[in-house]
Amino acid sequence: MQALAIAPEEKKSSAKTKYVYLFNEVEQAEAKLGGSWDKVRSLLGGKGANLADMTRLGVPVPPGFTVSTEACNAYLANNQTFPGNMWEQVLDAVEAMEDETGKGFGDPQNPLLVSCRSGAKFSMPGMMDTILNIGLNDEVAKGMIALTKDARFVYDLYRRLVQMYGSVVMGVPDEVFEAVITAKRKKAGVESDSELTAEDWRVMTGRFKEIYRTYTGTEFPSDPYDQLKLATEAVFKSWNGKRAFDYRNAAGIAHDLGTAVNIVTMVFGNMGDNSSTGVAMSRNASTGEKEIEGDYLVNAQGEDVVAGIRLTEPMSSMKDGMPELYAQFEEIAAKLEKHYRNMQDMEFTIEQGKLWLLQTRDGKRTAQAEVRIAVDMVDEGLITEKEAVIRVKPEQVDFFLHPQLDSEAIKTARTIAKGLNVSPGAAVGVIAFDADLAERWAKQDGL
Amino acid sequence: MVRPETKPDDVHGMLAANGILTSRGGRTSHAALVARQFGKPAVVGVSELEIDMDARQMVIDDLIIKEGDWLSLDGTNGIVYLGQLPTVVPDMSNPYLLKLLSWADKFRTLEVWANADYPQDAVRARGYGAQGIGLCRTEHMFFETNRLPIVQRMIMAKYAAERNEAIAELLPHQRSDFEGLFRAMDGQPVIIRLLDPPLHEFLPAYEDLVSELDDPKVQLQHFRTMSESDRALEEIRIKSAYLERVEALRESNPMLGTRGVRLGILLSELTKMQVRAIFEAAIACIKEGIDVHPEIMIPLVSHVNELKVQQTTLEAEAKKVIEENNGIKVPYKFGTMIEIPRAALTAGEIAEVAQFFSFGTNDLTQTAFGISRDDAERGFLVDYQQMGILPDNPFATIDQEGVGKLMEIATTHGRATNPNLHIGICGEHGGEPKSIAFCHNLGLNYVSCSPFRVPIARLAAAHAALANE
Repeated sequence: MQALAIAPEEKKSSAKTKYVYLFNEVEQAEAKLGGSWDKVRSLLGGKGANLADMTRLGVPVPPGFTVSTEACNAYLANNQTFPGNMWEQVLDAVEAMEDETGKGFGDPQNPLLVSCRSGAKFSMPGMMDTILNIGLNDEVAKGMIALTKDARFVYDLYRRLVQMYGSVVMGVPDEVFEAVITAKRKKAGVESDSELTAEDWRVMTGRFKEIYRTYTGTEFPSDPYDQLKLATEAVFKSWNGKRAFDYRNAAGIAHDLGTAVNIVTMVFGNMGDNSSTGVAMSRNASTGEKEIEGDYLVNAQGEDVVAGIRLTEPMSSMKDGMPELYAQFEEIAAKLEKHYRNMQDMEFTIEQGKLWLLQTRDGKRTAQAEVRIAVDMVDEGLITEKEAVIRVKPEQVDFFLHPQLDSEAIKTARTIAKGLNVSPGAAVGVIAFDADLAERWAKQDGL
Repeated sequence: MVRPETKPDDVHGMLAANGILTSRGGRTSHAALVARQFGKPAVVGVSELEIDMDARQMVIDDLIIKEGDWLSLDGTNGIVYLGQLPTVVPDMSNPYLLKLLSWADKFRTLEVWANADYPQDAVRARGYGAQGIGLCRTEHMFFETNRLPIVQRMIMAKYAAERNEAIAELLPHQRSDFEGLFRAMDGQPVIIRLLDPPLHEFLPAYEDLVSELDDPKVQLQHFRTMSESDRALEEIRIKSAYLERVEALRESNPMLGTRGVRLGILLSELTKMQVRAIFEAAIACIKEGIDVHPEIMIPLVSHVNELKVQQTTLEAEAKKVIEENNGIKVPYKFGTMIEIPRAALTAGEIAEVAQFFSFGTNDLTQTAFGISRDDAERGFLVDYQQMGILPDNPFATIDQEGVGKLMEIATTHGRATNPNLHIGICGEHGGEPKSIAFCHNLGLNYVSCSPFRVPIARLAAAHAALANE
């Protein structure tokens, strides 16, 4: 953590300090920090380092950049002003993104939209959340409609920007926006948002901007660069938000780490039937078998997968439906596994036939899968026997000794609640609401 | 059992239940702590669950679940399912697990032994990878239905001759028990602990006898035939005799009473019988070509002189048996449990007599803290954990600062006297990963745990060794 404290001579020459790293510039960060990956994670945050690392591996990650934690600390120390030429570096980075994507930020003819996310070294609650679709305004929206021939899609993106920006950056209560959508659904006599029309979303976008004005006393910023600037500042400020501060105190995380800001090109999984979005594991998380396991949705956004509104398809049907993309995905999964030497949990989006990885992390798995993956990975030469032994926790061996609920039966069983998993194992029986009855029934059972 | 939350009054129900579900409480709630203590699957803090005790039902969203309905709990992941789901026992023959454990064996230095009282347990333990038997509790053999009457006769005997007759009758039983163990553990050490519990445990409970005696006495007034009343009279006579003996044996604190080595010294004929059974079984096995390594362990020793008395008894009897069998040599060891603080503190002297130590950390925890486990776990221990007075249940994981300190003293002083002193642990802690790491760092030779925990201990021992690299 101390490595990040800015040395005095560095402070003086902050005009020369590199605050902004494109995802493909991770080597520069590493060189500056003496090759320590932990320090790279401190500088770029967990998420930024992960995206840069994937980019370096040749995995298709949407172009983007990270504004460093160092910039955040300087901003907070310096009366909330960007240090040195940080903002110029951001502008240069946006230009680099434009070159790479062939799109223009704020260009109605071929617009580049970006997302803005916080990314501290350790993930923590209370940090500013995501803002999507930065770069949209009335002109850009019109241009995009001409380009995509899908006004519904564009106005849905636009209202999301106003809504997220309003609630996350300016603190407008999100319920106010949601109430508008609920009222609109009622009026239209429909059950879900997906049944609302382009005109509905256009009208609501206008209404959202009015709400924004009422609550903030200012107009919604139409200049994409203003949007970017304010969003970046909002992330920086959220580092010192009360919830984040309290959490760091409780979790023993240093207050001087700061957060990075990640600006990433938006990719859309809802741009037609050659687009989709999904989540997949590089191996089966229940059995550990070496096969891609996951779900995806054709012509949908990430949150549709999470919300479970539509029935997802298993990755195996992607193998049949989009064999080339599936093969590419398999190759990427193998590459990521080889690099991280662990089973990966990946978020991806396919935009008009082009596959993008949005995130990867070590996947959660059952004890049975943990054992099998550890052993298989030794056989595949990914890890050593020692690492395999250390990876499996002694408590996980317990799994092999006690009854568990049948994993096939679980799939069709009705889950009625989730609680705290305080004592492991499976229990099946009839409900007794008091101790005496439980004891009596247990005795009868035993007879 | 489903409750809004649990209280100490609910413990008997929790013990009887297959699993526990509560709508309130967190990871350190009473329900959570007790469930873990007794190994009951549990899901707690399901706040959306509305339990209506009057209507004997619970409501979750629109679903009404009544008392007597089926429910399935996944305590590992904290999920509640409706209905009766099938369960599977994933077995130890999983080839991936076996491979992983074989790697763990290469890295660990701590041996893993098992506690086993019967040959079938020993076979299972060996199958799971145990390298020896760290504790065979001989009293379990006494409780078997065909032997208990003999044991009771031994206790009830008024004269030494009568008692010795009963003890002699037990000999062939014990011998065949030990033969079975030695056969199962061919080539590996078997630690046999001489009789440990107080004698009253083999007799009917005092309260039962009193109430049973009341019954025929009342009935006696109503019997019509002579044979009926004769039978009742006979019953009264037998039970009265039992009651008399039970009253005589009654102690106000049996856990700290006439048990362990104290009993072995007072009933030296019993000690001799057990020693004879061990050596005769060993010799019988040696004759069959089986490689036997019996180790005789004395329980509850607090003073080296106790051990000396037992050593004299043992050596004399062993010598006799060997002479009776044309001088066949039996490679045996003589050692002691360390389960009383005084034994730990005077380990230097005890190691002059003992060739091995085995920490009985259950009793050592009870005696070091001055608390009884049953009373503690059903009572104040949960409060203590909730209040943060104790970070963990010391019966689940070794109290390293206190009990651990005694173990450290015993190990250091014992090895100072006898550098080759073989030291292990045979309490339940021997199968608990944190305690295993502690034993590794203390330089113990082995941990001994229940057969089912042997695979866990093998992996935990490897982790402990690799952590120090």
